[in-house]
Amino acid sequence: MKKFKGLLLLLVLVMAFGALAVAQEYKEFTLFSSDPLPDYPGSTILGDIIDEATGIKLKREFLVGDLETRLGLMIASGDYPDMMYAAHYTQRLIDAGAYIPLEDLIEEHAPNIKKYYAKYFDMITAPDGHIYFLPQQAIPFGPGERRYPELGFYINKRVLKDAGWPKIKTFDEMFELIENYMKKNPTYKGQPTIGWLTTFDSTYSYSTTNVPAHLAGYPNEGGFVAPKEGGKFKVRPYHTGQIEKYYYQKLNEMYHKGVVDPEMFVINYDQYIERLSSGRVLATFAQHWVLQQAQDILNRDDPDSILVPFPIVFDETVEEYMRDTPYIQQTQGMGITIACKDPVSVIKYWDYLVANQMLIQWGIEGEHYEVDEDGMYYRTEEQLALFRDPNWVRDVYGRQYYLNLYPSLTGVAEDGNSYVPDNQPSMIYQAATAAEKEVMDAYGVKSFTEFYNPPKPWEEVPYYPIWTITIPTGSPAHIEGTRHSDMLREYVPRLVMSDPSEFEMIWNEYVNRTRPLLQLRMEYIQEQLEWRVENWGPKNL
Amino acid sequence: MKKELSVDTATIKKKDTFFAKLWEQRAWVMMSFPFIVYVIIFRYLPIGGWVLAFQNYWPAKSLFDQTWVGLENFRMLFDDPVFFQVLRNTIAISAIKLTLGMFFAILLALILNEVRNLRFKKITQTISYLPYFISWVVAANLVRDLLATDGIINEILMALNIVDKPIMFLGVPKLFWWVIGFSHVWKQIGWDAIVYLAAMTSINPNLYEAAMIDGASRLQRIRHITLPALRPTIVILLILNIGQLMNAGFEQVYLLQNGRVIEYARIFEIFELDFGLKMMRYSFATAAGIFRSVVSIILVFSANYIAKRLDQERLF
Repeated sequence: MKKFKGLLLLLVLVMAFGALAVAQEYKEFTLFSSDPLPDYPGSTILGDIIDEATGIKLKREFLVGDLETRLGLMIASGDYPDMMYAAHYTQRLIDAGAYIPLEDLIEEHAPNIKKYYAKYFDMITAPDGHIYFLPQQAIPFGPGERRYPELGFYINKRVLKDAGWPKIKTFDEMFELIENYMKKNPTYKGQPTIGWLTTFDSTYSYSTTNVPAHLAGYPNEGGFVAPKEGGKFKVRPYHTGQIEKYYYQKLNEMYHKGVVDPEMFVINYDQYIERLSSGRVLATFAQHWVLQQAQDILNRDDPDSILVPFPIVFDETVEEYMRDTPYIQQTQGMGITIACKDPVSVIKYWDYLVANQMLIQWGIEGEHYEVDEDGMYYRTEEQLALFRDPNWVRDVYGRQYYLNLYPSLTGVAEDGNSYVPDNQPSMIYQAATAAEKEVMDAYGVKSFTEFYNPPKPWEEVPYYPIWTITIPTGSPAHIEGTRHSDMLREYVPRLVMSDPSEFEMIWNEYVNRTRPLLQLRMEYIQEQLEWRVENWGPKNL
Repeated sequence: MKKELSVDTATIKKKDTFFAKLWEQRAWVMMSFPFIVYVIIFRYLPIGGWVLAFQNYWPAKSLFDQTWVGLENFRMLFDDPVFFQVLRNTIAISAIKLTLGMFFAILLALILNEVRNLRFKKITQTISYLPYFISWVVAANLVRDLLATDGIINEILMALNIVDKPIMFLGVPKLFWWVIGFSHVWKQIGWDAIVYLAAMTSINPNLYEAAMIDGASRLQRIRHITLPALRPTIVILLILNIGQLMNAGFEQVYLLQNGRVIEYARIFEIFELDFGLKMMRYSFATAAGIFRSVVSIILVFSANYIAKRLDQERLF
């Protein structure tokens, strides 16, 4: 009986410890991200490795609907997850007191973050001396190359092939090309061909309204540009000048010729992607990530209609610098919130992710990539095929769930490999799809970025880019900005769709409405830009 | 002395009757209790938040550390360049929705009530109220597809030779209010008709029989029996709905609007979101909300007063 009792006690003890061990195995943290991803599949190749190695599981909430609204509610209720990433509204969370300072945590617990982010600490330290967030995609050892530029005027491959692979330079040339092609091919797969279509959906409307700045040769600066006048950067708007008038008048002309999609201002972003993916859109302007999804689908299903980027400008006299000067997103990133009970574990988790970028971006050696005798990574055809399927990469491999939002690295690694497999020097051309290779061969280039001038070096634009300057929330300048975009939403469709005889009148009305809505932001940005040049310029030479 | 005593007994007596009555009606009290609690928690307590409208509220600070700004937020609201446009659109859209919505719901109820084939009636009713259960997020996409230039409505119009080229329904500014109005009818008609159908079941069948014996036609029966019997329901619902005139229906308008029609699509809810919540101007949004509530209260009282003057059924 005594023996039995002892045995029973032992059994109970073992069970209790077992239960305890199971319960202690994983710590759980909550995460909110403004990247609208589908819910985490529960288990992915990467996820299982990372969960196992860190002992941490994440409960993720991805954005559904409008970010500003979601954040507004979150801040008003004070109900935060443990860590969160809120893209362009990071400063708003800092202002609301949602984030905790990270500098001591990094110093004590995150040697890798410290190592790779060191040169950015000045930039991301708030005026009160604290670091509240870590941006994604630090560039520790140089930016490296890439297959696609950051943005471009994209022309359908069928059009280029038909015209004998011309190098298109100006907006006029481009429309001439499209018009000719449309005359010959009014329909594609039974549906009408669309000559020109950019998205005007609220969150992406800059794809339509930023075009004049790019026609003038600027990279993606945001709502303003900063040409050098008399040795100093002067913040300037690009909404009421000659190029802008030319742009809207050209679209107006093309709209009435039936080249511009008549539903351009009515459809939303999903419908835009759907139309691009159908292969019947001949040309568009976008940042690469905005249309990447459509390009992936085209590469898979309709390789003859992939979109080829060009740096198209207003006229021959414009010298383009459309590519991004390598920069880190100085004003946005992921932070730990005041709701987090165990910030040390979170920072260690991030440190693990930063230290294991090769695992996250390349995968497992022998399975997802190979190493040649010089220590350079590469992928075989089979491995490439695997990674060309966006659904596999997201749902089975799980890259998006461990890369995009967290502190991460890009560019060239210490050993000369590229952090981003697609940008591995040997893979930029080799890993391209057959359709992409066909275009590159026709033009005699090894990447599409070769169509572009190299970006301005950091020394020349030590503030870059303007769009990361955050206007204080709710300030008069902020209200002015909202009024301006509200006004643009009303006037851009009118400018493009109005009767050509009324264009002058509406243009004047538009100019009069726009002028008073720029001043406050220009002043604020000018001030911030000068601060950046003074504080960041010399140190980052 | 005596007098005082009598007062005392009076109050005691009164108390007695109050508690006695309470006890007597305990079942009713118990039943209404949860609703009273609900109304207090969700309808009365939030009114305390109205103080925000007189502050420059910032969420990181406690309610008492905020800066007080008086009526500044209201001044900004009324001075806003689009304020009157927003007001116009809100009232126009709600008025169109209210009129079309009630008219077609009553019409459907009258038609269904006359249908003698029970099975057909049931099926029609089910189909007509199915859209009610779809969220606007989905419904808006359906509406977008139906109204697209290659959508079914344009195809029907083209096939019937009513138009010779497709109409871009969502891209014509002047049509926007009507798109909202009729898509509201499509989504709500079946559900709204249920109330009227229910009211009709309570009409005494003898009235119809008597009318039939007297030789009343079907239309006459509707005109002289069904409609008058519905009148109280219609008036009550009208008064209640007039109180909602300042709510044009956020989801529907937000999801169907686009840049081309924005002049006719700026409504209060969207305005409060864009210029209030999204910019963390909670105080400004609260001020706009107060303005809406005050207008709604005035509207309900006026409607009720008019109903009273016209000797109609009324709310209070």
